[in-house]
Amino acid sequence: MMSWRTLVSRLAPLLACLGLLGIWQIGALILDTDSFPTAIDALRAVPSILTDKESLINILASLRRMAIGFGVGVGLSIPLGLMMGRSRAVASFFNPLLMITYPVPKAALMPIIMLWLGVGDLAKTLVIFLGVSLPVVFHSFQGARAVEEKMLWSGAAMGLSAGQRMLRIVLPSALPEILIGCRTGLVLALITMITSEMIARQSGAGNILFNALDMGQYDTVFAMIIIVGAMGIGLDAAFEQLRKRLVRWSEPRFDLPLSFS
Amino acid sequence: MKGRVLTSDVLLGIAPIALMIAVWQALISFGYAPATLLPPPGQVFMRLVRQLGNNEYQQDIAATLFRLFAGFAIAVVLGVGIGLAAAASPAVNAVVRPIVRVLAPLPKVALYPALLLLLGFGHESKITLVVADALFPILLSTYYGASMVEQKLIWSAMAAGTPPRQILFKVVLPAAMPSVLTGCRIGLVISCIVVFLAEMITSTDGLGHVLVTAARTFRAVDMFVPLITISLLGLILNGLLQWLRSYLLRGFPEV
Repeated sequence: MMSWRTLVSRLAPLLACLGLLGIWQIGALILDTDSFPTAIDALRAVPSILTDKESLINILASLRRMAIGFGVGVGLSIPLGLMMGRSRAVASFFNPLLMITYPVPKAALMPIIMLWLGVGDLAKTLVIFLGVSLPVVFHSFQGARAVEEKMLWSGAAMGLSAGQRMLRIVLPSALPEILIGCRTGLVLALITMITSEMIARQSGAGNILFNALDMGQYDTVFAMIIIVGAMGIGLDAAFEQLRKRLVRWSEPRFDLPLSFS
Repeated sequence: MKGRVLTSDVLLGIAPIALMIAVWQALISFGYAPATLLPPPGQVFMRLVRQLGNNEYQQDIAATLFRLFAGFAIAVVLGVGIGLAAAASPAVNAVVRPIVRVLAPLPKVALYPALLLLLGFGHESKITLVVADALFPILLSTYYGASMVEQKLIWSAMAAGTPPRQILFKVVLPAAMPSVLTGCRIGLVISCIVVFLAEMITSTDGLGHVLVTAARTFRAVDMFVPLITISLLGLILNGLLQWLRSYLLRGFPEV
C-alpha cells in the first residue's frame, strides 16, 4: 500500500504531463482547425526535427550559448551578491542600479546590442548573461544578509581573514538561497535564449520556432514547443538533483520549483 | 545621525548611475561610438520628455499598461486562489502540485506562438502570456505562506467557533500576506518584462512595438526611449506595490 503510494507520488509529474497532453489532444479534436494540431501530430513531428542535422546543430548551438551565458552570469553574480550582503556600502552602491535595470526586459536590449556586436554568438550570450545575473545577485544578496553574525564573530575570533570568512562561512550558509536564485536564473536563461534568437533570426531553437510560425508549419511550431518545454523541465529537474546534493544538510525549504518566469 | 546615513546611502546609490551616464557621454565625446549606434544621453532624455507629451506615444503606454494590469490582476486572483486552495485541501494539493511542477519551469515565451494561433493577435494572447508567466511565482509564494501559518492561530479561531471558510479568509490569508506580497512583487516585474516581449514579437501598438519599429528603421534614439519608459513604469509600479505592502502589513513586525 505504502509503496504504491510512493510510486504514484514519484510518477505524479509524469501523470501531470500525460494529463496536459490529453487535454491538448481533446481540445485540438474539439476545435479542429489547421493551426492547432493535435498532441499526437505534434509529438510525431518531434523525431524528424531531432534527427535533422541542421536543426540539431541549431539547438545545440543554442544550448551552448545558454550554458556560457549562465556560467559566466552565475560566476560573477554570486561574489557580487555576497559582497552586497556583507557590506552596506557595496549594497547601497549597487542596489539602485539593479532596481532600475530589473524591470527592463533583457531580451529587449537585443536590438541595441545587435547594433554594436552584430547578430552573432556574442550578442546573444551577453543578453543571456544579463538575464541570468539579476536573480542570482538578488538571492545571493538576501542569503548573505541573513548569515548569522555569531558565526562570523567566532570565525574572526579564530583568526579567519575577511576573505576566508566569506569563502568558508558566508558562502556555505547562503548556498541554499543562492541555489534558489540559480534555479530561477536557469529558467530565465532559457527564456532569454529563445527570445534573443527570435529577435536575431540567424540560428538556434528560437529561430526554428518562429520561422515555422511565419511559414505556417504548425506541426513544427508545436513540436518545437514540446522540445523547448522538455528542455526546461529536464534542466530544472537536473538542477534540482544537484541542489539536493549540495545542500543536503539544510532543511529543504522549497521542493517545488520557485521559478519566477 | 540616521538622516546622514540615509543621504550618504542615496549618494552612493546615485554614483553608479551617474557614472554610467558619464561613461555613456564620454564614449561619444571621445569618438569611440558613432552617434548612430549610441546616441548621446542628453538627446535620448530630450526625446523621452518629448515623447511622453506625444499623444500617440501615450496611447502606446496605455495599451502596454492595460495588458500589464489585466494580466497581472488575473494572475493575482488565480495565483492566490489556487495557492490557498492547495494549502487548505489535500485533494486539490495532490492535483495542483504535479501540474505546477511541470508547468513552472516551462519557458512560457515558447508557448506564445501557440497562443497566437489560438487567440489571435489582439490583447487576448498577450494577456494570457502575462498571466502564464506571472501566475507561478504568486501561486508558489501564496502556497508556502499559507502552509507556514502557525497552527495555533487556526486552532484558536476554531475554538472561538469560526467556520472553516472564514478561517481561510480571516486567519490564513492575512497571516500569509507577507509571502503573498513578495510573490506579487516578483510577478509584477515579470509582467513588465513579458508584456514588453509579447509586444515585440507581434503587435501593432504598445511600447514593445515602438522599440521594434525603431530597430527596423535603425533609429537608435527611439530604441532607448521605450526601454527607459518601461524601466520607469516598473519603478513606479514597484513603488506603489511597496506602499500597498506597508499599508496592508501595518500590524506586522518589520519584515
